[in-house]
Amino acid sequence: MSQEVPEEFRLLCMLHNIGAIKLERSLSVQEICEWTAMETSSIELHLQKLVELGYVQPIEAEATGRYHLTPDGIRKVLSLYS
Amino acid sequence: MLTWEFPPRIVGGIARHCEGLAKALAHLGHEVHVFTLDFPGAPDYEEMNGVKVYRTVTELGHPNFLTWALLFNHFLEKRLGSVSQQVKFDVVHVHDWLSAPAGVSFKYGVKKPLVLTVHSTEIGRAQGLHTPDSRAIDGMEWWATYEANKVIVTSGSMKGEICGHFNLPDDKIRIIPNAIDSTNYHASIDRESIRRRYGIGSNEKLVLCVGRLVPQKGIEHLIHAVPNIVWRHPEAKIVIVGEGWLKGHLEYLARSSGHGWKIRFTGFLPDSEMIALMTSADVLVVPSIYEPFGIVALEGMAAGVPVVASYIGGLAEVVEHDRTGILVYSKNPESIAWGVDRVLSDPGHSHWLTENARKMIQKTYSWEGIAKKTLEVYKEVK
Repeated sequence: MSQEVPEEFRLLCMLHNIGAIKLERSLSVQEICEWTAMETSSIELHLQKLVELGYVQPIEAEATGRYHLTPDGIRKVLSLYS
Repeated sequence: MLTWEFPPRIVGGIARHCEGLAKALAHLGHEVHVFTLDFPGAPDYEEMNGVKVYRTVTELGHPNFLTWALLFNHFLEKRLGSVSQQVKFDVVHVHDWLSAPAGVSFKYGVKKPLVLTVHSTEIGRAQGLHTPDSRAIDGMEWWATYEANKVIVTSGSMKGEICGHFNLPDDKIRIIPNAIDSTNYHASIDRESIRRRYGIGSNEKLVLCVGRLVPQKGIEHLIHAVPNIVWRHPEAKIVIVGEGWLKGHLEYLARSSGHGWKIRFTGFLPDSEMIALMTSADVLVVPSIYEPFGIVALEGMAAGVPVVASYIGGLAEVVEHDRTGILVYSKNPESIAWGVDRVLSDPGHSHWLTENARKMIQKTYSWEGIAKKTLEVYKEVK
């Protein structure tokens, strides 16, 4: 994968590789921070964009939001690696 | 069969290739087991047209792609080991480096031959080895070709690439092309209604491009060709189907071309919609700069649309210039515009091209034929 991949898609790939591809394996922003060593503010910004694009599904039921990839998000990641 | 993508986990050509080959082998009376990764909504195990499909959950993750790939191989291997307690396998067939570690372990674990299909190479996909991970993947590709008893590639171009880059002996490699199920392309469709969905009027021409939005697909060169295409054919509109990380850049290029309103990006489309759109198009452009095979050209031919493709790699073997399609210079917008004009300006010639292409596909690119050739390779290594 090229170095030119936008930062939000790098985050999408990392979420995929960590395993956040379904509801029961969704991750909080705090957990994503710990996995990726990215700044909280950057993660929140990128997640917002990925949610808007339909690649990430937010789970709002809990006090802190959790996130996992949608099927379109998984396909997007595969398109980056193929 | 080991593969990291299998329907419905489907993006590139590997999933379609594995599905077509597995079903054709099963149809010929062989027992085929496919081990792949899970996908939301898809069952852990199912039988698809006689093919047994095992979808494995990767229970451990890591942000780094390579580390993740090695982890999912562990879980593939575990599932394979478990199933092999009940099933006696004769050969393991791995597709690309991604599932090679599990395949190689299995080869030594059960002492059965390993066949590897190389669909593309890292050095080709990335147009060089620019990162440590890229170098590691290149190394794993070499290692997989070394461990395999036989290596299958889909084109003579790919054979040349891996013989040269990995120093493989010529007699270790077999060329077996991709195939398509042309019956999928015979459905009757309401052409006008589909074209309307994508904003194509009855007097307009639909120039279609289907591919992942990544540099190797050369879509920027098609966008650079648009002013020239529109100058010759003001009624032309361009529809680009696919997803990829380059999408934002390509959309920017389209807006900057001065003809942004003539270029539409659809994103990912399901197979049925993609086939309907292909069948409704006036020309399919495949402007790739690297293409080990180029199955999209075959898909266009099966759909009966004239194909304009880059004169590179596998495309140059699939398309016979001015007989089954039009070949143009890669990375050359002028040449792409010329090819599109050649098709749109002469409907009689275009029809002749599509008729020749259909006949060629039926003769050369059926899954049954490809499955029989693959069985010959299995027999060689047994």
